[in-house]
Amino acid sequence: MTSEGFKRHGSNSYVAEFAENEREILINLAEQIIELLAERVDHGHEDPLAAMVGITTHDAPPEDEVLHRLLPNAYQDQADSAEFRRYTESTLRNKKQAHAMAMRMYLKSAQDGTVDLDHDSANAWLGAINDMRLALGVRLNVQERTNDELELLAPDDPLRGVYIVYGWLGWLQEGLVAALMDEG
Amino acid sequence: MVKTDTHIEEQIRAIFSGDTPWVTIVWDDPVNLMTYVTYVLMELFGYSKEKAHELMMKVHTEGKAVVSTGSREEMEHDVARLHEYGLWATLQRGDQAL
Repeated sequence: MTSEGFKRHGSNSYVAEFAENEREILINLAEQIIELLAERVDHGHEDPLAAMVGITTHDAPPEDEVLHRLLPNAYQDQADSAEFRRYTESTLRNKKQAHAMAMRMYLKSAQDGTVDLDHDSANAWLGAINDMRLALGVRLNVQERTNDELELLAPDDPLRGVYIVYGWLGWLQEGLVAALMDEG
Repeated sequence: MVKTDTHIEEQIRAIFSGDTPWVTIVWDDPVNLMTYVTYVLMELFGYSKEKAHELMMKVHTEGKAVVSTGSREEMEHDVARLHEYGLWATLQRGDQAL
C-alpha cells in the first residue's frame, strides 16, 4: 500500500492518490457491498403501491451476518424492530448502495489514481468505507477476537490478507476524517 | 380515600399526551473508529467537537450513551441516519432502563 491518504486542499476539496492495486481493491470492495445489498431484494411484492412508497416485504432481520450488521435492528424489542424495518429498510439499503456507488464512480473515473472529493462525497466515502470495515469485521470475527490475536495471524492464514485490508481501510478512513475536521 | 401518587399520575398523563421523551442510544462496537464516531456525531447532530468527543468516550468506556432525546418520530429519524453511517444505534422510551 503506497497511498499517503487524504489531504485537505482548500476549503472543500479532499484529495488522495491511489496506486493501481489500491484502486482495484477499493472498486472490488465497493462492488461487493453493492451486490450484497442487492441480494436482499423485495421478492414477490403483492402490493405495488407499497413497493413504490418504499414499504418492504422484509420485517425479519437478514439471516446473513454481514447484511444483519449493515441493516441492524432499530429497537431492542423485536415487534417494534420488525415494524420499523418494514417501512425503512429499503431506504437504508438504497442509501448504502448510493455511498458505495459514488465511491466506485470516483475511482472508475480516476484513471491516474487521483480522487478529489467535496464535503458531501467525502461523507459518502466515509459511509462506504465503514460498511466495508463492518463487512470484513464480521469475517474476521472482531467481536470475539482481540487485536493482538489478529496481529498474530500466520502469514499463510487466508484471514491475514483480510486483516491487512481491514486495517488499511481504517487508516484511510481516519485520514479522511482528520482532513474533514482540519479547520486550518 | 386513596391518595394517588402524583409522580405516577404525571407519568400516566405524559404517556397519554405523548410527552414522554424517547432517546437514541449508540452502542459500542469494536469496528467503528473513535475519530469516525466523533465526526459522525458532529456531522449528524451539529454537536461541537468537545461534546461529540465526550459522547464517543462514554460509548467507548461505558458501552453505550444517549446521543439524542426527542419525540419517537425524531428518534426514529436519528437512528436511521446513524445506521446510514454504520453506527450501532437503537431507540427506546426515555423512561425505560438503559
